[in-house]
Amino acid sequence: MPKKIGAVAVVGGGISGMQAALDLADSGIKVHIIESKPGIGGVMSMLDKTFPTNDCAMCTMAPRLVEISRHKDIEVISHSEVEKIAGKPGKLNVTLNTKARFVDVDKCTGCGSCTQSCPVSNFVQPMLPEDKPVVELNPEIRERIVDIVRKHKHRRGPLMPILQEVSAFLRYFPEEVLKYISQETAYPVAHIVRVATFYSGFSLKPIGKHIINICMGTACYVRGSQILADRFSDLLNIGMDETTEDMQFTLKSVRCIGCCGLSPVATVADEVYGKLQIKDVPGILNKHAAEPKHEGELQIAN
Amino acid sequence: MAERKRIELMLCAGTGCVAGGAFQIMEALQKELAARELKNEVAVVPTGCNGFCGQGPLMVVLPDNIFYGWIALKDIPLLVEEHFLKGRPVKKLMFVPSEEKIPLPLLSDIPFFKKQMLIVLRNKGIIDPEKIEDYLARDGYIAIEKALTSMSPEEVIEEIKKSGLRGRGGAGFPTGMKWSIARQQEKVPKYLIANCDEGDPGAYMDRSVLESDPHSVIEGMSLAAFGIGVSDGFIYVRTEYPLAIERMQTAISLAREYGLLGTDILGTGFDFDVEIREGSGAFVCGEETSLIHSIEGDIPEPRQRPPFPAQQGLWGCPTVINNVETLANVPAIVARGSAWYSSIGTDTSKGTKIFSLVGKINNTGLIEVPMGITLREIVDEIGGGIPEGKAFKAVQTGGPSGGCIPASMLDSPIDYDSLQKAGSMMGSGGMIVLDEDTCVVDVSKFFIQFTNDESCGKCVSCRDGSDALLEVLTRISDGEGREGDIEFLEELGDAVKDSSMCGLGQTLPNPVLSTLRYFREEYEAHIKEKRCPALVCKNLIQYYIDPDLCVGCLKCLKTCPSGGIKGELKYVHFIDQADCTKCGQCFEVCPPKIAAVVKVTGDNFDRLEHLTEIVSCSDWKSSGHNGRNGKPAKTDAAEAV
Repeated sequence: MPKKIGAVAVVGGGISGMQAALDLADSGIKVHIIESKPGIGGVMSMLDKTFPTNDCAMCTMAPRLVEISRHKDIEVISHSEVEKIAGKPGKLNVTLNTKARFVDVDKCTGCGSCTQSCPVSNFVQPMLPEDKPVVELNPEIRERIVDIVRKHKHRRGPLMPILQEVSAFLRYFPEEVLKYISQETAYPVAHIVRVATFYSGFSLKPIGKHIINICMGTACYVRGSQILADRFSDLLNIGMDETTEDMQFTLKSVRCIGCCGLSPVATVADEVYGKLQIKDVPGILNKHAAEPKHEGELQIAN
Repeated sequence: MAERKRIELMLCAGTGCVAGGAFQIMEALQKELAARELKNEVAVVPTGCNGFCGQGPLMVVLPDNIFYGWIALKDIPLLVEEHFLKGRPVKKLMFVPSEEKIPLPLLSDIPFFKKQMLIVLRNKGIIDPEKIEDYLARDGYIAIEKALTSMSPEEVIEEIKKSGLRGRGGAGFPTGMKWSIARQQEKVPKYLIANCDEGDPGAYMDRSVLESDPHSVIEGMSLAAFGIGVSDGFIYVRTEYPLAIERMQTAISLAREYGLLGTDILGTGFDFDVEIREGSGAFVCGEETSLIHSIEGDIPEPRQRPPFPAQQGLWGCPTVINNVETLANVPAIVARGSAWYSSIGTDTSKGTKIFSLVGKINNTGLIEVPMGITLREIVDEIGGGIPEGKAFKAVQTGGPSGGCIPASMLDSPIDYDSLQKAGSMMGSGGMIVLDEDTCVVDVSKFFIQFTNDESCGKCVSCRDGSDALLEVLTRISDGEGREGDIEFLEELGDAVKDSSMCGLGQTLPNPVLSTLRYFREEYEAHIKEKRCPALVCKNLIQYYIDPDLCVGCLKCLKTCPSGGIKGELKYVHFIDQADCTKCGQCFEVCPPKIAAVVKVTGDNFDRLEHLTEIVSCSDWKSSGHNGRNGKPAKTDAAEAV
């Protein structure tokens, strides 16, 4: 067996770096692990479980950590970053920048006492109440939004009822409204945006005066609702989920409105049109373009 | 039904019929009745969904039990005069079976209703869902009274266990078992949720239950709450069902008024109240852990089970989630006893199931049938066969989680286990009939598109797996399928099934796998012969106008969005294939008696020699088309069209 010469530098001491180092060292090669943080472990050490098996992260890591510290051929150079690599493959010179630690590594046992008693990290910057930015709402909608939020915010699970009522009122969520909801409830804005974008019934963009919903349920689909959707799309010159420039119509598809007996079905501004045929489409559009929207009641069609 | 009248008109006011104008008809009826001074003798009662949605708007005349469908506003004066004044039922509004052509006056004679067995929908079309008295008159709230006064909670659960009731949401978990698991939990409070987030496209039975008989759900919930030991209930309804939400709200307030919800129900010290929560259009919210997250205001992604919601659910407390249909079964079981209920159905599946029978079928609507009935009975007898004499191809059950059952398996009984064996599932009960004009590749693509859209993205296998399935299916239907695609679909489908966390991912490959099992040759035709046998897939078909049939009426020409049809009035038209986007609109508008626009695919394509001559012709009058181009059309029928 030829004698192995040389050494390998593994940059990054996360789980993959650690495993690579162990595999190399086990095959008889000297390994230097270079890690910018004060200790190896990386992101995985912060995780509880891993996808998709839901294995415990620490159970995967801990044996490797121990093995690395014991391995005679592995040198861990922590708190260091690569500055320069010179030379050519086979003979590389790596220059490292090791950051000052102000602690004698050989003597430290990692007991954690100094971390706990350090006054700097323990000092919490107080957030004064007036520092919190107050969200300004557009005066036209202010009263209603404040009302809605006040009505629901003390319920258990207030977010959905608030979003639903706001969406029924404005039909989309302007940014400042989301921020206001976040301010009044305990939810961070990011959470509210995630919830709002999860449901197809909510929109973050303004939508047209009349919403055209083409039913794409199976029954309607096998009876040709795709052709209908194309016809609407052609006539309005917009694609799905788009709004005409004059803000009159928004074209959407909906997953089954439960009128399968009337398939194919479309609803325009709350009016349900059943057994639709292509030839009816222009008439429907003209009718709604001419009329202002009627609230509520379903009307007769065909 | 406070005061009986000589004649009662049970007018269906379910979503489907309302869309068809039921309320206008009701108004017109009342006006006409007033004009004829019949107001004191004839009552118009708006009911929940009657079930025979394909005939809507419709009504049933009691006490004669005469069924009228497809009522138009203009028929009303005639109807009132002939039937209600002179006592002669109007034949032209009666149901006519397609094969016999003789009108059937009585509801009970119509095959659609004959084979059904009503337990959950026992009150449909008989009561006004907005009046609690109507429900009470039909033995409503008897079961809860019986339970509260003469049974212990354990006895209620035992009764449900013995009845063999299984969850109607699709998976079929024994309901009694679920309740007793939750009952055994020590942690309090406990919660009960009625799941009406009915997302399966083509299924609307839960909506119909809420619309036609909301009190049966409230009573079922009260019984469940009593059995499990719950005092807070939620009803989770999709926001796409405004009418159902409204009726449920009315029913809840009425029940509170009558002391059937709230504190100290019927003076027995039992407290229970119900609250409605709405979903906003996310399919995955029908999954129970997702639904819990949605109510909590969290991001509605499913989570790993166990712990099951019955152990740890809403706000970390034991929570029972039952489908609306399951709950509506409960009052009947408690009132009439488990022995009666378990005598219906098959060994493993008891009772009845509601299906929404839709798609390419003559009698569309909602049906409730005993478990164990065969598909053939449903399709041929209740459904009345396929319209326009087309051939039956398959039934798709279970929505996006289910599969297609081919003609060869029509005689197998319907229950949880045999559907599973056939590669499909019960699902929430959508039953979509496909005929020869439906392409299975296209249908599979449709379902995968749906699940791909609705996948929450938490599991890689579901999110990226559905992407990959969709990519391959799109390729096949675009005519770019490759050797090995079918095997890939099968392998990937199995992988997605095995490695996804929630029901959505675990079942999403079913539509593909089941169609591959029964309609493999159709996939092969797409891949090897570049042919779509059902003439659906756009890239594999061409539209063509038969010069011998075209009368030159300009209809298709005016409709064509791409200007690809050339011609003049009374001159034979033709389609310039270079401009054709294959939208199919010309095919739709060509009058049925002319039917000059035809679709061709694969080999048929070459047989029509004249097609080749005209493929990219710019001066239509001077070119081929079998020498008929630019020639006057054969007849003068253009004017008549």
